[in-house]
Amino acid sequence: MPTRTVAVGSASGLHARPAKIFVEAAAKAPVKVTIRVGEKKPVPAKSMLSVLALGAKKGTEVTLEADGDGADQALDDLAALLARDLDADGV
Amino acid sequence: MSELLDVRAIKLAEKAVDRDDAIRRTGEALVEIGAVEPGYVTTMLAREQSISTYVGEGVAIPHGTLGGKDLVNRDALSVLRFPDGVDWDGETVTVCVGIAARGDGHVELLAALAEVLLDEDQARELREATEPGTVIRLLGALKEEDSNS
Repeated sequence: MPTRTVAVGSASGLHARPAKIFVEAAAKAPVKVTIRVGEKKPVPAKSMLSVLALGAKKGTEVTLEADGDGADQALDDLAALLARDLDADGV
Repeated sequence: MSELLDVRAIKLAEKAVDRDDAIRRTGEALVEIGAVEPGYVTTMLAREQSISTYVGEGVAIPHGTLGGKDLVNRDALSVLRFPDGVDWDGETVTVCVGIAARGDGHVELLAALAEVLLDEDQARELREATEPGTVIRLLGALKEEDSNS
């Protein structure tokens, strides 16, 4: 199954604003994407609460996983989003 | 998490006319315990305009912008319950957890809160809490679990 592992780039971690931006992007993906930290249980990337519960800080490596048509493209896009500093964009 | 949660900042029978009113009250609870300067409340409103802090299960987590961090005296939480519900851009919010954080310590705190909300029974208990002790038990218990992980 296609996977991508990426370090969280947002200065304050994958919390409220960066998490929301990521979750909204994951919800729009054509495939079901999961996210996990290390070997912990994968959770749905489109679930705000599940993503917050990861407690990922800046530099925490997270792994995205998806299967099906468009999975690779969706994972590339979401991994690129996670690597960015989403706190720095706008307010 | 419990030492971040001052019992004076837990208010369980609040009323708000709208979302911004609820955010103001949630922020003022942080001001009242000296955790933030009054200006922090304005940055909480600005944050909400930028992106909704609704997280699901009837709970929103208003907090300031990065620029508001200088107005934080110490990390703290406030928990306000609005039994009548508050319209939050189409969602109904019953509980607002106000967050004051200087560093990234609140990521763990948010993770702990999210764990509570992912548990249906605990989420309902939080939404229906009428005693501050219930809130402290729900949110305070997580700290011990966290330190074990």
